[in-house]
Amino acid sequence: MNSFSRSTLLLAVSFFYLPIVVLAIFSFNASSLMAFPLSGFTLEWYQALADNGAFHDAFITSFLVSQPVGILSALIGLAAALALASPALRWRTGFIVLIVLPFLVPKTVLSIAQAMLLSWTGLGRNAVTLIVAQTLVAIPFTTTIIAAVVIRLDRRLEEAARDLGATPWQSFRKVTLPQIKGAIGAAYSIGVILSLADLTISMFLAGRTQPLSLVVASQFRRELKPDLNAMQVVVLCLTAIILLLSELYRRKRLLRGHFQREQ
Amino acid sequence: MNPVLSRATLAVPVALLLIIGCVLPLALLLVFSFFTVDMDAFVMVPDFSGGNWLQMATKPIFGLLIGKAVLYGSVTAVLTACLGYPVALAIASLSRNAKSLAGVVLLTPLYTGEIVRIYAWRVLLGSEGLVNALLKGIGLIDEPLKFLLFTPFTTYLVLVYNTLPFMVLPIWISAELVDRRLIEAARDLGARPIEAFFKVTLPLTTPGLAVGLFAVFALAAGDMLTPSMLGGTSGSTPMALIDNLFGTAFDWPLASALALSLLMVLFGCASAMAWLLLRLKGARAVLQRGLQ
Repeated sequence: MNSFSRSTLLLAVSFFYLPIVVLAIFSFNASSLMAFPLSGFTLEWYQALADNGAFHDAFITSFLVSQPVGILSALIGLAAALALASPALRWRTGFIVLIVLPFLVPKTVLSIAQAMLLSWTGLGRNAVTLIVAQTLVAIPFTTTIIAAVVIRLDRRLEEAARDLGATPWQSFRKVTLPQIKGAIGAAYSIGVILSLADLTISMFLAGRTQPLSLVVASQFRRELKPDLNAMQVVVLCLTAIILLLSELYRRKRLLRGHFQREQ
Repeated sequence: MNPVLSRATLAVPVALLLIIGCVLPLALLLVFSFFTVDMDAFVMVPDFSGGNWLQMATKPIFGLLIGKAVLYGSVTAVLTACLGYPVALAIASLSRNAKSLAGVVLLTPLYTGEIVRIYAWRVLLGSEGLVNALLKGIGLIDEPLKFLLFTPFTTYLVLVYNTLPFMVLPIWISAELVDRRLIEAARDLGARPIEAFFKVTLPLTTPGLAVGLFAVFALAAGDMLTPSMLGGTSGSTPMALIDNLFGTAFDWPLASALALSLLMVLFGCASAMAWLLLRLKGARAVLQRGLQ
């Protein structure tokens, strides 16, 4: 690697992490004003966060919403990816357009159109509509992740299993599934993370459900406060942990794969 | 049942879900755009005079706002392409282990909440934020720079920040597939690094560039929160106006007509971009011969 690449990467990483580092610094700063110079170290804001009941409820709500979004979007992404990899799929282009549609339409426009449909048909807006809407928006991401792996699979392995008398379900479970488990796990974590990161969809489709991003946004419009910093740092650490765990899981599976092949 | 056929039928439930969840709401916009609001009874009644569409065509404000969304989308796409290429090629030149670490490093900021990012940039760019404090500290400025926050500059900076990973990832994946010997051959035959880039690397990575341009254009043109919370007085977008018409003014018909006009313009731009990119020699060759 030459010095040009090295300085490029250094610049890119500092650009990506600059805002995050600043948040982290102010979450430990002993002043309620977010301004330089810094005034000293404190854990006061984390204490305030731990005492704030509204944040706790919102955090639990966000977590409970993100789990079904992760699971559903991974399962739907799996179905879509398997369909895309099948040579028998008709109207392929139309299907691909449908899959990327939630990504191409601005989230605000899609959410408002969905809210209009719900209120026109007399259906209420609640946690379920929020989960469905967030799942729809996650589908382009989860499908891409799983399809990238499914398309590279060796079709002959499954055919061999079928020739040896396995049912379609058995050959999927014993041959295909072990090879794509990692991708399904990655799709699940991206569904969860997209759900936790979302504000736009929640604004229009959450009804009376109050996920963390909505609570933060309503406080943020009024004033900037360091306990919000502390909370953002906590949320970021959780996000990083999810990403790291799914990467470790993937690596462990890869390593085990190599090991088995060597034996 | 034939397993090949059964896999393909999995597309049916997925397609149904997307049709009910996405296509149906958008189709409803078309229906509502031919309604009008009866202000006395406060209900919507059908109105086939096309009054909302006439307003779209005649009032300049709508065209201006949609044009601004297209401008945000295209400028951000070009900026991220220029910044994303060096980053993607640098990642592609890393060792195997460093690459997977680079993936995580690149993805973590991508998944921080929309609100977290906006919030962090306000702390960073404010008149008592880090940038101004640093510049003051080294004596470059006496007064805090005012253009850093609540200006178009802020909007573009944060749009680039939000969308850069969507440009870097596809270019990086394309660059992985380029046979490195081709670049070495070009260098051996006397091409300067910059020539080798334009004659070999760029044409062979056009598919990645195209995916990146699409993704960034769609994301940046459709972003409402970044301009409205960081762009100050310049931060109005068609999405914010749609939101306003829908939520506050209760003019769903006009909101629907505006939303559809926006979608048509965005899809038109995206298709034009696809057509242009397909005309490039390199892209056509790569797409026809497949990514080997």
